[in-house]
Amino acid sequence: MTTSLATGRARAWAWIAHLRSGGTTAWASWESVGAVDAVGHGRYLPGAQQLELLRRLNLAGHPSSALVERVIAASAPGRGRPDLELVGVDAERRFGPPAVDPATLPDEELLRVVSGLLAAVLVERRERAVESAGSQHVRVTRRFRTRYQLAGDPWLTAAYTRELVADGRPPGGAGRAVHVLGADVATLLAHTWAAGAFGAGGPSWPDFLARVRARRRLPRRVDLPGVVERFLARPHTGRVGVVLDLAALPKLVGVRRLVPVPDPAAHAVELARQVGVALSLHVLPEEQSALLTGALWPRLTRVAGVLPAVPPEHRDWVEDTAFGLRQRLLHGGYPVVGDPDVVLPRFAERETASVLDLAIELLLEEEAP
Amino acid sequence: MSTKVLLHVGTPKTGTSYLQDVLFRNRERLLAAGICYPASRHDSHFLAALDLMQLPWGGLQTEAIGAWDELARQVREHDGIAIVSHEILATASRAQIGRAMESLGRDAGTEVHLVLSVRDLVRQIPAEWQENVKHRAQLRYGAFLDQITDPERSTRIGAWFWGVQEIPDILDRWGQELPPDQVHVVTVPPPGGAPELLWKRFSQAFGLDGVDLDLDGERQNPSLGVPETTLLRRINRRANAELPPADYRPLVRELLAHQTLSRRTRSPRLALPPELHPWVQQLSADWIAELERREYDIIGDLADLVGAPPVSEYADPDRPRERQVAAAGVDAITALLLDNARLRHEEERLHAELTDVRGALDRAQLRPSYRLRHGLVVRLERSAVGRGLLGVYRRARGRSSRVA
Repeated sequence: MTTSLATGRARAWAWIAHLRSGGTTAWASWESVGAVDAVGHGRYLPGAQQLELLRRLNLAGHPSSALVERVIAASAPGRGRPDLELVGVDAERRFGPPAVDPATLPDEELLRVVSGLLAAVLVERRERAVESAGSQHVRVTRRFRTRYQLAGDPWLTAAYTRELVADGRPPGGAGRAVHVLGADVATLLAHTWAAGAFGAGGPSWPDFLARVRARRRLPRRVDLPGVVERFLARPHTGRVGVVLDLAALPKLVGVRRLVPVPDPAAHAVELARQVGVALSLHVLPEEQSALLTGALWPRLTRVAGVLPAVPPEHRDWVEDTAFGLRQRLLHGGYPVVGDPDVVLPRFAERETASVLDLAIELLLEEEAP
Repeated sequence: MSTKVLLHVGTPKTGTSYLQDVLFRNRERLLAAGICYPASRHDSHFLAALDLMQLPWGGLQTEAIGAWDELARQVREHDGIAIVSHEILATASRAQIGRAMESLGRDAGTEVHLVLSVRDLVRQIPAEWQENVKHRAQLRYGAFLDQITDPERSTRIGAWFWGVQEIPDILDRWGQELPPDQVHVVTVPPPGGAPELLWKRFSQAFGLDGVDLDLDGERQNPSLGVPETTLLRRINRRANAELPPADYRPLVRELLAHQTLSRRTRSPRLALPPELHPWVQQLSADWIAELERREYDIIGDLADLVGAPPVSEYADPDRPRERQVAAAGVDAITALLLDNARLRHEEERLHAELTDVRGALDRAQLRPSYRLRHGLVVRLERSAVGRGLLGVYRRARGRSSRVA
């Protein structure tokens, strides 16, 4: 080991000790080569991603010592850049990826690490989550209830069905009426993407839109006329219709009111998607979905924000699709509750909230003693 | 506890599929010789590597949960020599390597030997692009080369390529705590050499000389020519959005690439563009000098890493001869038609079988005794008392007569 390498490593270990004790000085500003006892040394220097994440956690709050050690020992799940070396530690290093100033790392690199840590927390707490889900008050199934089934918009369908089940009104039964829930096409697409992110996983929002565009048709679940036709072909099905006016839904399913379903914020959904990818490495798809919906979503409901916006390059085909959908609803011959013009898209402006900041906030909360 | 673990961590495209197939098929014979290759299925070590490195892989990761710990447990419980082999381990991080070494028993006294099989970049670079295309990649060869020649290596493609191909860095990470004589570098002979030479080198590295093994395996990872790879890339561009990974693997990767297009051996082969040869030569020379300096156990010849000179007629897969691509397309369509015909025949056979079963069921239901019993059940189902009596009867009779 050359002297310069020894000095570089001593400086790095001193910085790590500083971060372990809650320090927030950036690596580029770190000059000290203070003595660090052998306990402070590991077998290898942690990656720049882990160390920068620790610094950001220190900036945002007070991570527990257990969380600090978890971050230092973590490896980012999934494909991407490997654990990177700190610039200035080993000037003579000739192989491996280039060393970096950790403060310049893009958010995505840190997000891979923090998603893995959040997934690990969810897995550790899964028994508690299952117990908590089991202890939630669910009414005994009512003998006299309206037979119904919800379909269409997967985000709304899942939320309303959960509420009705908790009220003793499970879906199904012979002669059930099928209500295919719809909204404007931009919202339908965003809800479908969100349902996938909290379910078995899926692509990022831009990739999701690109795939829908490539297929030249709406996703199967929100192609409302297609859903109606499939249900009409099933035996023991009563009235099948599309519901575009959600205010009419409580009466249709036999209740006085339903709690409005909050829209998930785009950056919260993206975080759930990334945590889902990391979760898929630890649990089976059904449990992944249960943990995301039952344990993560309740923590994200309070996150302010709006659904992801359809970017300008996709707006033409979304508008065309919506117009085609409206025409099919007008001439379908089945009941449509609400104005078919509802499906025409209303484009919102893109909102930029940091997925990484949200992830860090959540990790600090999850790990709070 | 294992006395010695031979840990083969890469690199891809160095005959690893053949080696792993031989080890898997011969695990009984190996065990008789005191060597454990712990695998219950062909891809056991692949799944273990996915688990260790926390890699999603088109849904396969669900089968990998806990696979590394299970593999490591089997290694620890074996009294003798154990072999672990998968090429994607090459890209593991230092933290993952630390976990792997600990779980294999390094701190408890097990002697860990690292094996890295290596091949020249002149062949590895086009082979890696082709492997990417066979895993749904849509990028052109030129774009791939741009990404791997970018010194930042900030893209997924660039990071992965160098993670599994940069020999000195892989050995830095995996061999950081091993003495050089416990690090074995196996070089792949240059093209045109005796086909059994590579196996002899593997056999020496893994201490298999003298063990009677069946070497006539069929598993390999066949390569494609220029028009075939171009065709596959175009199929990826068109079909990726609609074809899930679970269907892509058997239909595109296996049926089209491995079973059909790889048989077209007369088409031009993929090669390194001549203009990249000087860069590759310099890189290879640096690596060879570094490996010599580190005094590892070299099995083969480091000069094998130099690679062949530029090809005289370079076929650019980004500007292929369209007639050749069309011919490959006709072969692909034919293969799909034949497979479709096979499936239709299978469907017809199953329909006929189903019709027979329905007929048998109908005949059974026409018997007077069945109709009598059926009528009785229908009447009993109409009243609460009847349903209770049926319940008692069904509990007494057992599961076979309960309502499904």
